[in-house]
Amino acid sequence: MRKRALRIHLFVWTAAMAVLACLFGAPAQAQQPVCSAWLIESSRFMNVPFGAFMPDRAFVPGSTKPENNIPTVDLPVNVGVIKCGNELILYDTGWKQQDYLKMTGSDHWAPLPDQLKVLGFNAADVTKVVIGHAHWDHAGQLSDLPNAVLYVQREELKAIEWALNYPEPHIRAINSDPGGCNRTPACGYMPLTIEEVYGKVLKGKAVIVDGEMEILPGVRIHPAFRAHTAGSQLLEVPTSIGKLVFGSDAFSSYEGIRDWMTANVQQTDTVQQFLAYEKCYKITGGYNNCVAAHEPLSYTDKYPLTKNSWVALNGGRMAEITLAPGEKSRKP
Amino acid sequence: MPGGRSLLLAGVVAALAATAGAAWLHEMRPRSIMQPADQTVSARTEKPQPPALTADEERFATALWAVHREATRLAVAMSFAGISYQTEDRDARAFARRIEPMAKFFHDAEIQVRAMSAPPSMSTTQEHYVNAMALYANAAGEMLKFTEDGNSQRLGDAHRMDVLASEDMLRVGEVLWPGQYKPH
Repeated sequence: MRKRALRIHLFVWTAAMAVLACLFGAPAQAQQPVCSAWLIESSRFMNVPFGAFMPDRAFVPGSTKPENNIPTVDLPVNVGVIKCGNELILYDTGWKQQDYLKMTGSDHWAPLPDQLKVLGFNAADVTKVVIGHAHWDHAGQLSDLPNAVLYVQREELKAIEWALNYPEPHIRAINSDPGGCNRTPACGYMPLTIEEVYGKVLKGKAVIVDGEMEILPGVRIHPAFRAHTAGSQLLEVPTSIGKLVFGSDAFSSYEGIRDWMTANVQQTDTVQQFLAYEKCYKITGGYNNCVAAHEPLSYTDKYPLTKNSWVALNGGRMAEITLAPGEKSRKP
Repeated sequence: MPGGRSLLLAGVVAALAATAGAAWLHEMRPRSIMQPADQTVSARTEKPQPPALTADEERFATALWAVHREATRLAVAMSFAGISYQTEDRDARAFARRIEPMAKFFHDAEIQVRAMSAPPSMSTTQEHYVNAMALYANAAGEMLKFTEDGNSQRLGDAHRMDVLASEDMLRVGEVLWPGQYKPH
């Protein structure tokens, strides 16, 4: 008799939990937005030695191996445009080229507000900016997005400041010699870029992130510390083609993620970069939905996620990655 | 005319060999990945190369680099002083202690760069740099005044000056040290 009562008790509890799950679980799931996503080529670094970008792909004269027979590549600087309901989010913001920075060996640059206009968006409507890291070619043009709240990792800021105050002049230098620095810890954080980050902080439009953070339901920042810089961060985005993960320079190369090769080694711990690749595999179920910042094959069939592309301002390219139900295509 | 026929044959063989050689060289020449979009829109144009500096200009660039290296670092450090104040301690005294040496550096740098002997071709470049140092010095001054009177308008003014100064430094860098910022 007591056993039977216990069984009934258990049944009632289980049923009650199931009813609660149905009542609250389903609506919560339904609230999670499905986002649309586009990719903008902010500019393109031309004729970069392949080996400088991916050490395992270094050019070997006379080699017939596909990994080693390409001397130079053109590297796009990709900016993610993500629309979730009424929220317009940018992942990275490229860099600003006016009457300076023309000698960076880049081409096809156009102002970010103009590029957004091509997609039918207004720069003032951008609500959030997540920067994968604060290097000059990824965190520029912030002042052109007046209403956007910036998300940057505290770890990124702390590491730059640590480097700036280091006693050894080469380690603390922003530009350690007239030819430019490569991989020292403060290298790549130019004054204009960091001043624009400060501008956002000053206006109360910056969120200093500590590790993981959900910025909208289902839209989640993941730390990828030292996967490119000390405070690199990824962005997970739910879409109708599955989850995307934007990786900035932790995911510099799509081929690198696919073939497990390190890419764009700056302030990078290569082990952490591979762990960031693994995170994308785990979140998305493979490598095809990992969004790379500088993949030379971007906007072609060889990088399928970005193949729905066209040429826009000043020869820069754009791609429509995926549309949420009801969202109109912005491809001309 | 066996000699003439041989000569003709040798000529034909040589021409064929040259053609084959040229074709082989063309095929073997290293090339970069060319994307379809590149082919349609961007006939590759040679990028403009900065004109080589004269000996006098080189001397000026070398002298200025000694200032520039530290100015760049302190410009970033000044932004960080502001970020730390806003996001961490809100300690005006600590903020002032961080800004004071920067204010002195930029004030001295303005005088030092103004006094440098620059060739006439570099006068605009020198002027831009002096202007940048003056703006940074004034911005630091505004930040210090803020630590005394708490008027946050001063921080906004200082920020605007810092942005202009950093743009001026980039303009100078474009002339004297092109490529100082590499793809990252």
